[in-house]
Order: sequence, then structure tokens, then C-alpha cells
Amino acid sequence: MNQLRLLNVSKTYKNGVKALDDVSIEINSGMFGLLGPNGAGKSTLMRTIATLQQPDSGEIYLDDIDILNQKMELRKVLGYLPQSFGVYPKLSAEKLLHYFAELKGLSNKAERKQIVDYALEVTNLYDVKNKHVAGYSGGMKQRFGIAQLLLNNPKLIIVDEPTAGLDPAERHRFLNVLREIGTNHIVILSTHIVDDVKELCTDMAILNGGKLLCHKKPIDAVLDLKDKIWGLTIDRESVERYESEYNIISTNYNQDNSLNIRVYGETSPGDEFMKVEPDLSDVYFVHLKGDEVEATNPQS
Amino acid sequence: MFSKIFKFEIKSWFQAPITYIYSVIMFIFAFLMMASAGGLFDNFTVTTTSPTYENSALAINGMINVLSVFLYFLLPSIVGASINKDFKYDMHQVLYSYPISKASYLFGKFLSAMSIVIGIILLICLGVYIGTIFPGTNPDLFTDFDIWNYVQPLLIFVIPNILLYGAVVFAVVTFSRNIFIGFISVLILITIQSFAQSLTADIDNKTLSALIDPLGAQALGLETEYWTVFERNNNPLPFEGYIIYNRLLWAAISILIFSFVFFKFKFNQQAIQFKLFKSKAERVIKRNFGSLIRIQLPHAEKAYHFKHWLKMAWKHSNFEARYIFKNWVFISFAIVTLIITLSTLAVRTPIYGTSTYPVTRELMQNASGVVSGFIIIITFLLVGMLVNRAKSSNMNQLVDVTPFPNWSFLLAKFIAIFKMQASFYILALVLAVGVQVYNEYYKLELDLYLFQFFAIDYLRVLAWTVMAFLFHSLIKNHIVGFISLLAFLILLGFFPQFGIEQSIFRFNSGGGATYSDMVGYGPGLKVFYVYRLYWFSLAAVLYILAIIFYRRGVSYSAKQRIELAQEKMNPLYKSIIAVCLVMFVGLGSWIYYNDNVINERLSGNERELLQVQYEKQYSHLKMLNSPRITSININLDLFPDIRDFKAKGEFILKNKTEQPIDSILVNLNDYYVQSYALDKEGKAILKDTVYDFEIFKFDKSLLPGEEVTFTFYMRNKPNTILNNNSPVRTNGTFINNRIFPSFGYSEGYEISNNKTREKYDLELKERMKSPYDSTALGNTYLTDDADWIDFETTVSTSKNQIAIAPGYLQEEWEDGERRYFHYKMDKKILNFYAFNSAEYEVYEDQWNDVNLQVFYHKPHDYNIDRMISGAKKALDYYSENFSPYQFKQLRILEFPLTSGSFAQSFANTVPYSEAIGFIAKVDDEDDDSVDYPFSVTAHEVAHQWWAHQVIGADVRGATLLSESMSEYSSLKVLEREYGAQQMRVFLKDALDRYLRGRRFESQKELPLMLNENQQYIHYNKGSLVLYAMSDYLGEEKMNRILESYIDKVAFQEPPYTTSVEFVNLLKQNTPDSLQYLVKDMFETITLYDNRITEATSDTLDNGTYEVKLKAYAQKYRSSEKGEKIFSNAEGESIGFETEKDTLESLPLRDYIEIGVFGETDETIDGVKKENVLYLKKHLISEINNEFTIIVDEKPIEVGIDPYNKLIDTDSGDNRMKVE
Repeated sequence: MNQLRLLNVSKTYKNGVKALDDVSIEINSGMFGLLGPNGAGKSTLMRTIATLQQPDSGEIYLDDIDILNQKMELRKVLGYLPQSFGVYPKLSAEKLLHYFAELKGLSNKAERKQIVDYALEVTNLYDVKNKHVAGYSGGMKQRFGIAQLLLNNPKLIIVDEPTAGLDPAERHRFLNVLREIGTNHIVILSTHIVDDVKELCTDMAILNGGKLLCHKKPIDAVLDLKDKIWGLTIDRESVERYESEYNIISTNYNQDNSLNIRVYGETSPGDEFMKVEPDLSDVYFVHLKGDEVEATNPQS
Repeated sequence: MFSKIFKFEIKSWFQAPITYIYSVIMFIFAFLMMASAGGLFDNFTVTTTSPTYENSALAINGMINVLSVFLYFLLPSIVGASINKDFKYDMHQVLYSYPISKASYLFGKFLSAMSIVIGIILLICLGVYIGTIFPGTNPDLFTDFDIWNYVQPLLIFVIPNILLYGAVVFAVVTFSRNIFIGFISVLILITIQSFAQSLTADIDNKTLSALIDPLGAQALGLETEYWTVFERNNNPLPFEGYIIYNRLLWAAISILIFSFVFFKFKFNQQAIQFKLFKSKAERVIKRNFGSLIRIQLPHAEKAYHFKHWLKMAWKHSNFEARYIFKNWVFISFAIVTLIITLSTLAVRTPIYGTSTYPVTRELMQNASGVVSGFIIIITFLLVGMLVNRAKSSNMNQLVDVTPFPNWSFLLAKFIAIFKMQASFYILALVLAVGVQVYNEYYKLELDLYLFQFFAIDYLRVLAWTVMAFLFHSLIKNHIVGFISLLAFLILLGFFPQFGIEQSIFRFNSGGGATYSDMVGYGPGLKVFYVYRLYWFSLAAVLYILAIIFYRRGVSYSAKQRIELAQEKMNPLYKSIIAVCLVMFVGLGSWIYYNDNVINERLSGNERELLQVQYEKQYSHLKMLNSPRITSININLDLFPDIRDFKAKGEFILKNKTEQPIDSILVNLNDYYVQSYALDKEGKAILKDTVYDFEIFKFDKSLLPGEEVTFTFYMRNKPNTILNNNSPVRTNGTFINNRIFPSFGYSEGYEISNNKTREKYDLELKERMKSPYDSTALGNTYLTDDADWIDFETTVSTSKNQIAIAPGYLQEEWEDGERRYFHYKMDKKILNFYAFNSAEYEVYEDQWNDVNLQVFYHKPHDYNIDRMISGAKKALDYYSENFSPYQFKQLRILEFPLTSGSFAQSFANTVPYSEAIGFIAKVDDEDDDSVDYPFSVTAHEVAHQWWAHQVIGADVRGATLLSESMSEYSSLKVLEREYGAQQMRVFLKDALDRYLRGRRFESQKELPLMLNENQQYIHYNKGSLVLYAMSDYLGEEKMNRILESYIDKVAFQEPPYTTSVEFVNLLKQNTPDSLQYLVKDMFETITLYDNRITEATSDTLDNGTYEVKLKAYAQKYRSSEKGEKIFSNAEGESIGFETEKDTLESLPLRDYIEIGVFGETDETIDGVKKENVLYLKKHLISEINNEFTIIVDEKPIEVGIDPYNKLIDTDSGDNRMKVE
């Protein structure tokens, strides 16, 4: 059983943006989903854990590894897939994976080959292993990213928005791989796609403006909203009126140009509203909404 | 749209820090360059003097163009980056979908970037200008400010060149979308430029070189090659002839390149790609089904220990090296290096059209010179590319989170860089050996190549390689890193001028080891390694810094990087740094102590002050009469193995004056351990240990005619690792009499440059005294403490060597491991002698009853017969025409090039450098290839007459009587042996050297008979003038004059003869009609400007041809600064109005050759023999002349002074084809 602990991690960029604001969290083995809108600080957090970036203050531990001071120790057990990455041109997947295996300290040549082949198999790249990775499509490259991550059988896996750009089949395959590894290790998955978390995460948190808003199991988070989400179908013309009167957390169109709105409230906002089953998206929006209100009325 | 793009670009340049960095660097460089040329740092270094102004148009043009070379390397990151940034940041995908016109996009980009560059150039001009007016500079070195001197260089050269380079870089980057390819294109242009420059080594290629030089520098060089000091100071840049052609040609090329970009450019997603093989198209379907349920990663052992990372560093060095070898930057560099190396090696340095045998020594030195420069630059570039490799592929995040340690990353890259560097050396080796084999030369000394390249050259590059790693580790942007490294390298070059002269303060400098076939590398090698060790200990520290500052991860502030670096500083690194720093400081202190405390080290400025002080304090001693040496007996013991010597000498000194002499000034030498004694009562009354002389006062004065014996003992101080305290070499020792004590005030030690004298309030003086000053004729120009002396010596050396000195061998014996030689002269000789010792082979021959010997280094046996033949033919000619040879032997001895590349003539003894003659490869088939082993030997033999029989007094014009006469004499021998064709090669070269020599005159040009030991006058002009004189008078008559002159003055006692005496004799024997020649050629500086302007011919009825030709003849005198003067002393001159301007000339009554030449099929040894139809000297008295000449055969070409016997700055227009 592994545990990752962040204590009061803060980071402010030169341009004044507070990317991480006193983040403290404990993450245990299993899949951990980090949800948050664009620019919430997810990548900063991921990079900080992955030893690529130094926070201004705070401490991070993986079990007994003090990550900020024992970077090399962490790197031995880390698998990291950044949001976007490139590779050396004119090199095949197989060659590059061997290169990475060596970088990760795999010392036995035969074993190296075995694990590279296995990683290629797992990521469905075996057929194209001799092709240049630089020429891969976005999805293939992403799978290559997973393959390189697996090579050292990592204890801590950090994947930053991995499913963006994958087709449905690949996305499933990808998530399955992650889930499979996540049974014994810590997998941190950052995403802004709620479904990714819903489908496989055992634990999750929402990050917005550098602050952690909610750290719960997805099931619990959804359960918390039971009887608090109210739905209504309205026409386009009345959107403004509803928006000013109700705490709308999401709207989406139907094909006939009518709109479904969902409202958060301890009690029914009005007779016309129907109680609806909450889902993870509601959790996400409710927290963001709450954070936004708080941020605009700091005195309260 | 254009103006919007343009403005936007300019604005973004103004926001980019790089603009300011470049501007500041270039401004500072410009300022420093001009200020130091203007003497700003004179307080630290020797006083800067120059007869030319530093801010003349030519000087400013030169300076800005030198600075521009650095600017060219910045271009890829300015002009290239302006277009490349759109690709780099993927802006092009959005931008190219906008409705922008191609013209406004490309012109907007190009012109905005060029504006920035031109802005930087203006800053350079400003820097240069401030340099000229900066307080502390010497106003004598500058003329009045003239804006035109700046504008003209900008308009003719600097801006067109920068536009050309800019266009090329822009084109290349636009297509390749790679800034580095931009660097390569700059490099290729610079290569073309240096190729053009190398072409000029051969006079015949100058015009081609003037055209193909992209910078136009060779064209300017050609148009100004004979500019005198006056012209260089006062003329604006010429814009004529080849400069116009060159500028037009390259402007056209720039426009062509830009139009090519313009028409080919498309707003495309993909860069233009060149595909060699078309791959087959196929439909690709990926597997979409089949899921994965279990993952069971196979077990894999992991190792994080040192040994594993070390192994990986080696393995990954191959991985990195492969990247380098496949990289275009490397490939193009390698190709460029290959071409330049090959052209250098193939040509080598021909002397008078004659090349050398491709001996390993020469090829290895040439190759190492070319390759080392390239390696430094490519190392700076490639280290940047390697260090940033992951980052520039955007793979850094993947790589950075692996547990691979920094040191192993860096080590892999370092080894990869070594492999790259080694590949250049191997390339050089293969080329050099290829050239040897191609020339059927099979003494391949592979071990020597490998030693030079890897044990010397590579070690010189190593510290810079480490420095490159540190710079690129610290600096994120690798272009900025590269430029900073270059700037640092250039700045270091300026250090000595700022007064930082000691090598220990200048990164990676110190220690040099040149190789000679005779001595090997010599004691310099040890010093070289001491300095390398010194810098390596610093490099090790830098390397650790590079490791701990190696960038990993993203967005660190400077503060965080320092913190991180501190974290990475583990105890091992700390102890390495500590040990290396101790070593660095230790070695540095040792060297410093050695150079400054044990041995006094003086800066250039301090040396100058010492000279000033000597003169101020002691110049009254000039009046002190010295007794003169009449007899010399030296016992010299040479110990080649330990490079030591011991000497014991006995001089007999005689009071040759008519007054008693009460004291004697003895010059010693603190370099050696010395003591002396006189066999007459007295004591030293003054000992100056700064200038190392003593004044010994006799108790009783030395009476007129009285003799005294002066004995001295001397030996060298022991040699140490850092100090070679002895002139003795392990093989090839060459010592002359200057190491021994001498007598009297040393006037030669005084500062001779009048500008420097002025600065120190010293009375102005001429470099040499006037020949009309009868009090100055007491000394020969070789020595001032003796006339003719008896000479005897015993030299000992190691058993395997032969020691030689002037004189006949009396006895030779061995004693243990030593070998002794006793030499004695039977006639008096000059006080001018030398000792040589080496493991010699001996070749012996005979000329009449004279023994001829060549002592040579065994492998250098190529030209012994040519030297012997030269000696014999010379002895023949001179004894027939001048006077008998005074000795019974003549010996030629080879000495190492460590002593220089010259030959020198002592009495019956001629030391001859291994670098000239011994390895010359004379092509007898080629008439344009002068047999210089033959001619140089003839020249040196001639000195046995012209120096060792006739010796001039130490006044102006003395070298007319030695060097010019010897050149003339050897020319005659050469002519007799090889015919007139080799004369023409020789004289053409002499004319060129004389005219080019004038421009480098440091003080003033003087007429031949008054020359102040100026080589371009006494060798080059001297040979032209004497040869022409003998042509006009007739060889026979000329030689009779020389014979009678020798007869009159040979072996004379003081007062010695002067050039005036010779010229008077010449005048007496010259007919009135030719008296003007003596005046023109000997007494004044006179030049012609002769040219054919028209040439036509008609067939006459009787089958003959009537040739009509028009020719201009102009003659002028030149002032000592090179100003043309067209009127004689009486103020007379003649003129002629042409359509364009007025031509002027001195009054003419001159005989000038007119020639008509016909068709020829006759060839001799493959060279067309000239068919002379008519050649006669005509009396010419007008500028404009017409001639009608009837010849029998069809005329092809006509000429005025067609063989360039007269001195004419443009010899090319003396001939013209007949229409």
C-alpha cells in the first residue's frame, strides 16, 4: 500500500498567477482523478510531483521518499506522461523504448527486450514498432507515452490529460491499462473530462485556481448531491430570466433547440422543477460554481 | 498589410532581449577594437604607432568588415529567426490561413530583420567613432573625422554584404525551417570567401579571386594592393574595376536568391522536402478490437549504481554520436573542412611557383591549423544542440523524470562530442596521407599525425569543449549560448591589448609546441603539458559546474537553479572541486612564481620604459671609445642531451684609436652565468645589473696600438620544466656570436620609432645614419666592436653529432662520449660567426680546389645535388666576373625550422633552414617553377663576395651592397642556368613584393641607395633595379663595374665603403643618355605608369605587316609616404590632355622597350615560347606616343616595356592584343 502526501504546496509564477495555493492532500493506491478546468493548476501540480518543477513552499512525500529533496529516489519509481511531448526524430518506437529503458536503469539486456516487447504489446504498437515515432498520429504517440511509462514498473504513475485526442477504442484500452496498473500502485490522472473519472477512479479531487475544492470518492461525491439537483426544460428565450433567478450549474441543448437546465438547491427551487439524479458532472459544476461565487465575494 | 507586419516585427524585436544583447556586444567590440588600435591601452602594452591613420576610409572599412564576420554568425538568429519563429511556435498553421499576401509577409519579415541588423551596424559605426575620439587615445593615429569614411564602406561593402548573407540565410531558413542550416549557409559563404583569399597566394589568380569573393574584400585588396601609405591615408575607397564587377555579381546573386525564395514560397503546412526514394503508398488500418484484461509486467532488474551509469554513458555516447553524424550541421561542416583542408594540403605554400615534398611535418601542421579552427566552432554549436537535444524535440519531460543521473547524461554527450572531434582529425589524417600517396610520397609518419592531432591539438580543444558544456548548461537558448561562447573567444583575443599578457590569466592559452623534423617538438612540449594540466584542473571544476547546473525540468528561476545546484553538490563533487582548485591555483602560482619572481617578466610597456631609461641614463657613453676585437678563440662545449653549454672565450682587444682608452664598457647577459677577466690591471667601476653591463677602468690607460686579452667564461643556467635557459637543442643547435659579451654602448637597444621617441621626450633620430656622415663609417653594419678578426674555435658535442663553425678543420677527436672539432681560419673574417651541431649526413664534392660539403638531416636528401650545382655555378660566375673566391671550402648546413625559415651566410659556412630548399619539389618541366634550392644557394654564395669581401658601413644603403648585390648575382647565375623565362617569374614576383611591401612601410620609404635595411627595398626593388641596370648597360659592362668596385673596397679597414661610393662609380661608367636611370632607380623613388592604348595592324603589299600602336608613358617620383609627384626638382613636368582627364609626368628622355609579338606554335616543355618579332628600346619624350613598326610575320600582341623591367604599379596594361 503506497501513499502520496502533499503538505501545503504553493507555487506562484513570475507573472503573478498563483498556480498552487496551499495544496495538501493524501493519495492512496488506486486511481486518483484530478478534475479541473483549463488553467486550474493541474499540470503544475503534476509536474511538481513528477520532480520537474520546484514549488515555492510545501512538502511532498511518497511513502518515505521526500520528493522535493530526493528527486532521484522518486524518479526510480515514477511513471510520467506529460500533457504534450515530442520525441527524437528518425527513431523507431522500439529503439526509443530501449533508450528509455536504459535511462530508467534497466540493466539486463534480455530483460530489457522482454519488457519493451511487452509494453509495445500492451499499447498495441507492436506492429508499428519499427516506424518512426515522430511520424505517429496523435493517438499512437499517446500510446507510446504509456509504453515508455510502464518500462520501470512504476509505483507512482502520473498522467496529465492522457485521453485527449484518443479515439473511443483507444481511450478504453488506455483506461483499462491504467486501471490494471492502478490496483497496486498510485495512478494520478488529471483530466477535464468528467467521464474519465466516473468510469474508473476510486478517488478524486477538484482543483480550481490552484486550490483543492473537493477530495472524495466519486460515489460519495455524487451521493452528497442526492436530492439537491433539480432539472427543467425551458425554451431559449427564457434562459436569461432563469439565469438571474436560479443557481444554474449547467445547461445543454436538446435537438429541438429547447434547453435542459440543472439547478443546485437544498430544496426545490420551484414547482416547475423536477428532482433529477445527480451525476459526477453535477459535482464538478457545483464545486466550481461555489468557488466562483466565493472568489467574487471575498468578504463573505 | 506590409507596414503592419513590418511594424509588428520591429516592435517585437525591440521587446526581445536578444536585440539588446547583440547590440551591446557589437558596440563594445567595435569600440574596443578602434580604441585599442588608437592606443587607449598604451599604458599596459607597447606604444601603438602607425604611419597610417586608423580612421581612414580603408582602415574603417577593414575594421567594420572584420566585425561583420561576427555579425554574420548572428544573422541566423535574427533574419533566420524572424521567419523561423512562426514555424517554431506553430504560428504558421494559423497565420498562413490568413489573407496575407506573400509579398507583404516575406518583405515584412526580411526587411524588418534587416533593419534591426543595419541598426546594429550603425551602432558598430558609433562604437568605432567613439573609439577614435575617446580620451586616452593617441590623436596622432587619427586624421580629421570625415563622415564619408564611414558612409562609403557601409554603402559599398558592409550593407550589400549583410543583405547578401541575410538573403541567403533567409532563403535557407525559410525552406529548411531550421536555424542551424542557416548557420551552415553562413559558414559556406565564409568558406567561399576564405577559398577566394587562398587563391591570391598565386598572383595569376588574383582577378578570379576578386570576383568570387562574396564580401568583395579580395576585389578591394586587388584595387588597393599597391596603395602607398599616402594613398591609404587620403584616398576614399575606390569604386572601380573589379570592385564594381564583384559588387554587381553578388548583388545579382542576392536578388536571385531572394526572388527564388519569393517565387517558390508557399503558405504551406509542410516545409519543402526532398525525397530520394518514394515509398509505396498503402492503406493502414489499426487494430481496434481486442482488449486487455491483465497486465503483468515482466520482471526487469534495475541498477542505479555508478558502474551501470558509466556503461550507459558510453552506450548513449554512440546514440548521441549517431545523432551528430547524421546531422546536417556536422555533415556540411565536415564537407567544408574537407574542401578547405584538401586545398590547403594540395597547394601548401609554393615559393616562386615551386611546391614542396609533402613531408608529414608540413601536412600535419597545415591540416592541424585548418581543422582546429573548425572544430572549435562546430563544438560550440554541437554541444548546444546535444545539451538541448531533448528540449528541442520536446522530449525533455520524458527524459528528465528518469533516474538517469546528470553526470551520466553529460558524460555521454561529452564522449559523443569527442567522437565528433576525433572524426575531424581522422578526416584530416586520411586527407593528408591521401595527398602524400597521391604525390607518390611514402614516408607516412602515422604516429606523428596521431600525436599531433590527439596529444596536442585535441588537448587544446578540450578545455574549450568543457567551457561550451558549461555555457550551454547555464544558458537556456542555445543560439545565445553559441554566440556568447564566440564572443568570449573573441574577447580573450583582446586581453593582451588590455595589458593582460600572461597566459595563466587567459583561458586555455599558454604553451606552444611546433614540430621540426630535426628536433621534434623540443622542450616546448613540456611547457605545453604544464599549461594543459593547469587549464584541465580548471576545466574539471567547470565540468562539475556544468553537471550541477544541467537543466532538468521546467521553469526554474535563477535563484532556484542556484539552490538546486547547491543541492546537487555532493561530497564527491566538492572534493573533486577542492582537489582541482588546489591543483589549478598551485600550478598557476608555480607558473606565476617562475615567470614573475624567479625570472623577471616584463610587460611590453615595461620593456619600452627600460629602453627609454637606458638611453636617458647612459647615452653619454656613446662617446666612450672601445678597443676593438682583433682575434677570437672560443672553446664551446655543447651537451645536446641535457641541452646545456659551456663556453670559454678569449678576445684580443686592440686600441685602434689615436687616444689612450681608460675604460671599457662590457656588455654581459644576465641570461647566462658569466664572468670575465682582462690581463691588464684595473677594476670595474660601474656595474649595472638592470642592463647588464660593467665599466672596467684600467689603472693605466690602454695606449694607442696596445692590446689586451679579454677572457670570459659562461654557461647556461640549468634548464627547468618551464624554462629553457639554453639555446642548445637535442639536435640541430644553431648559436651565433650574439650570446657572447660585446663592448660599448648599445645604440641598437634605443627605441627607433620616432613617434614612440616623441612620446617619451627623446630626441628624434633616424633609423640609420647618413652615408654622407663621414664620422659614421667606422663600423660595418654587422658589428660595432670589431673590423676583421682572426678566428679559431674548438667545439665539442655529443658523440653522434657533428659540430661546425667557420674555419678549416684542424683536428677532430673523440674523448669518451664527446666529440671535438678544432676549426681555424687562415684569413681574417668579419666578427660574425655561428655554431651548428646535429646528427648530420655529409655529402662531399669539389669545385676546383674548393671542398664543397652539405650537412643535412638524413631524410632531407631531395635537393642536395641542386644545392651543390647552385654553389658550383655560382662560384663559376662570381669568380669569373667579380673576383676570386677567398676560401678553400664552402659548407651548407641544415638547421631546424625552430630557428626560422631562412638561409644565412657566414664565412664559408651557410646555415640553411629545413623549411626552405631542403624539401622543395622543383618541377624541371615547368618553366614557371623556379629552382629555388639552386637560386637561394647562389644568393648565399654571393654573400661570400657581397658581405664577406665587400662590407658596407653601418649607414643607410648598406644592404644595397650585400642583399641587392647578392640577389642580382644569383639572378645572373639562375639566368645562365635556366634561361630568361625563370627570370620573368622571379622578377614579376619581385615587383609584386616590392609594391606590396611599400604599403606596410612602418616609417618611410627611401630610395634604394638610402634604404634603412628595408627588405622590400633591398631584396625586391634591389633585384629589379640591378637587373634592369645590367639590361640597359649590358651584362658585361655591369660586371666590370662590380669587379672594379670589389677591387677597390674588398677587405678594407674603416672607414668602410657606402652605397654612395658604388653609385658614383656606376655613374662614372654610365653613358650620359642613361644617367637618368641612376637617378631614377638608385637615388629617388621613381615609378612608371606605362600602357598601350591602341594597337592595329595592316597587311602590306609585300606580305609584311605594318603595326600601329599608341602608348602612354608616365613617370613620377614618390614621396617617402607614397604621394605621387609629377614635377622634378626644378618644378618641370609635362602634361597631356586626354578625352577624360589630364595626364601628368616628369619630363621624359627615357629609353623604353617596345615589342611586337607573333603567333607561335613552338613550345618548349609544354610551354609556349614567345615569338618576338620586334623588341627595341625607343627614346620617349612625350606622354602620348605613336609607333609604326613593320614586321615580317602576323603580329598578335604589342607591348610597351613588355617584360616589366621598369617599376610600374599596373604591369597588366603594358601589353595589348592587336586588332
